[in-house]
Amino acid sequence: MTVNIIEGEKFAQMLVEGANNLSSNSKKIDALNVFPVPDGDTGTNMNLTITSGVKEVRAQTKNHVGAISSSFAKGLLMGARGNSGVILSQLFRGFSKSVEGKETITAKDLSKALDYGVEMAYKAVMKPVEGTILTVAKDAAKKGNDFSKHNEDVNELMAVVLEEAKASLERTPDLLPVLKEVGVVDSGGQGLVTIYEGFLAILRGEKVADSVQQDEPHMDELVKLEHHQSAQSHLATEDIEFGYCTEVMVKFEEEKMAENPFSEDGFRQQLDQYGDSLLVVADEELLKIHIHVEYPGNVISEAQKFGSLVNVKIENMREQHTTILNEKGSEPTAPKPSKSNKKTEYAVITVGLGTGIADLFKGLGVKTVIEGGQTMNPSTEDFVKAIDESNANKIILLPNNSNIVMAANQAADVSDLDVIVVPSKTVPQGLAAMLAFNPEQSLDENADGMNEIMKEVKTGEVTYAVRDTSLNGVAIKKGDFMGIYEKNIVSTGSSVQEVAKELIAEMVDDESEILTIIRGEDRTESESDEIVQYIEEQHDDVEVEVHLGNQPLYSYILSVE
Amino acid sequence: MSIVKIVTDSTADIPFDLQQELDISVVPLKVHFGEETFEDGVNLTSNEFYEKLGGADSIPTTSQPTPHQFETEYRQLFEANDSPDIISIHLSSKLSGTFQSAYIASQTLGDDIPVTVVDSKRASYAIGIIVVEVATMAKAGATKEDCLKRVDELLEDTTVFFMVDTLEYLEKNGRIGKASAVLGSLLKIKPILSLTEEGEVFPFEKVRGQKKAIHRMIQEFENRYGKDDIHVGISHAKAESEAKSLMTQMNDHFTVKKEVLTNIGPVIGTHVGPGTIAVSVTKMRK
Repeated sequence: MTVNIIEGEKFAQMLVEGANNLSSNSKKIDALNVFPVPDGDTGTNMNLTITSGVKEVRAQTKNHVGAISSSFAKGLLMGARGNSGVILSQLFRGFSKSVEGKETITAKDLSKALDYGVEMAYKAVMKPVEGTILTVAKDAAKKGNDFSKHNEDVNELMAVVLEEAKASLERTPDLLPVLKEVGVVDSGGQGLVTIYEGFLAILRGEKVADSVQQDEPHMDELVKLEHHQSAQSHLATEDIEFGYCTEVMVKFEEEKMAENPFSEDGFRQQLDQYGDSLLVVADEELLKIHIHVEYPGNVISEAQKFGSLVNVKIENMREQHTTILNEKGSEPTAPKPSKSNKKTEYAVITVGLGTGIADLFKGLGVKTVIEGGQTMNPSTEDFVKAIDESNANKIILLPNNSNIVMAANQAADVSDLDVIVVPSKTVPQGLAAMLAFNPEQSLDENADGMNEIMKEVKTGEVTYAVRDTSLNGVAIKKGDFMGIYEKNIVSTGSSVQEVAKELIAEMVDDESEILTIIRGEDRTESESDEIVQYIEEQHDDVEVEVHLGNQPLYSYILSVE
Repeated sequence: MSIVKIVTDSTADIPFDLQQELDISVVPLKVHFGEETFEDGVNLTSNEFYEKLGGADSIPTTSQPTPHQFETEYRQLFEANDSPDIISIHLSSKLSGTFQSAYIASQTLGDDIPVTVVDSKRASYAIGIIVVEVATMAKAGATKEDCLKRVDELLEDTTVFFMVDTLEYLEKNGRIGKASAVLGSLLKIKPILSLTEEGEVFPFEKVRGQKKAIHRMIQEFENRYGKDDIHVGISHAKAESEAKSLMTQMNDHFTVKKEVLTNIGPVIGTHVGPGTIAVSVTKMRK
């Protein structure tokens, strides 16, 4: 049977199933990450990105492809994390532009939309690298376009697109040498393939539209995301409108369901009146609810109409919040707008992991340090939130990681305020950039100065391999330490101290004046002292500064200038 | 037509023989170590001061000359020199009340003894460089009008950059100005400091490492003076060898027509601390 048209409802199901399929494969995609640092997060990032998109799809009640697509794109845009997540969001931003206003779509519409998405994504990336998700999307869209010129069946079109996406994915190692060396395909491309698989499964009717997430961790992940978002939006305890975080799990019972037929969307809409941060997931057996409400009893009663209570958890968020405030030493009874949050001309927002690193940045005048880094890429929305809360006229973003630069750029695009991204790729670059920051200068002058000064600092990092691999012809065992100088591994071995010393020997030359050592949470003072002693013996004209960064994963972050 | 006499204060850090050579009158500020009071450069030399500073329990304090001191100085000059015109050039009014004292003295004397008081908006040899240039003209017989015109040019053309070993002294004495922005940093930062148009301390640039600071400073002088004939003064607080090597570098990069190496005296030394080096540059007339 030929199917010539995709309707809104089906389209929404495709998106949901695409997300589900990506979600169940996210760990596998993580494992494809080629760089052997404890990084493997492409799957996680793409999953969190698409989850944010699907959330918007669920909130969209219109049976209209254009409207659904636009909601999806908006959710992706705000939730975009990591480079693959940002590219994914751009692919669907273009897609949604292309199907704007269309209630249903034909094969031609679909292929055109995929094509336009590719165009948009290429435009968004400053230096597109072939052999990545971009190539996979491009090849697949091209095949789809050719196909739809003489065939109108949408199912067959999607099959052709998926087939080519897979073929293109297999070719990625030929385009990107680093993939070939490690013997994997591109992780972002793999993510896109799993999304397309989900699309096709729905079109072919192989999967029933289930917006159901079976595994508990997934709900947890969603709850965490909700809390993460809401925690940032509340500044004072009194601002919390809905005081109780309520989680209810219900086992469906047939008798009750007969009286009270369950509709997930209907139920969601009903609960939505009670509070915010609402999550509802259901499968054949279980219904799970997470919501912030003022009267948890109502929610429990409503849920109980469909079955028996399995589990109920209620937490008083005002108490929790007050405790946090107390720990921070502010007054819980009369929360005042904090002094530091008065309107300022400038705010610099950066990203880092480790209390010591945050202190270093704040000492240099940074307003907000978003928690994150190599393994925890903040989303576009995290940046947007920080921008909104900065209460400043001009904002500078320092991402401190090449995987976070794009999310920052996207946030700068989305924001109505004057935001500039100074694309620092490492913590030392970010710190150096802050030296050039001058609140009396214009945004452009600052960006120029900060970009310039970043070139003068050399970055070294000591971390460990998450699995056996080989890179640049060097065999690396799981658990071995690696010294990374800018992007290259220059020393490896089982002794962290020796690896660090070898790395420093590579970094320091006659021009070097200061070596700064930022010690990770896994290293002791006597260990860093030993390195200081080594440098003093080898290079007596180099000044050494040691700071406790408390960062995870990186035993040492080094900078030479 | 009367001759022109130039008065300044001890914070101009003009070497003694140059004062003598150009007939420059210097009014001393005061330094107080606890109960003990010294007159800057009169009964306390730079070397003695830094020695005392090293052994002192607390940082000394300083005070401006009284209006009476200026009045006395102006009167003496006037009487000894057959009614000269007096130009009195002083430490930035944003950093000290010295200018204020001199101004009050000039007002007190009124038309009897005409004194033009100038706020140099600078400190250390950056004042000195202006004073020396004008005193040279005055000694050659220039009129008061010519001298004041030249003062305006010099105020426009003179740049000073300085580096301190620690910001502690500027902070404790409340002269940190806009450089306070650098204080919170955990990283050791060597700011290149300068003075604003108003004469306040500000961090021209924050850098780490002395080599880099010197490199940036020379770069900036290059932008401002290029191939001009320049007068360079380097004043230092117990950092003679660094100051000398810096002077060599300045000669390598620029057409230096006049160079002066001098000590940062006790009063400025109190505010910037040992290890400080200041480089002052101005354009010479062709």
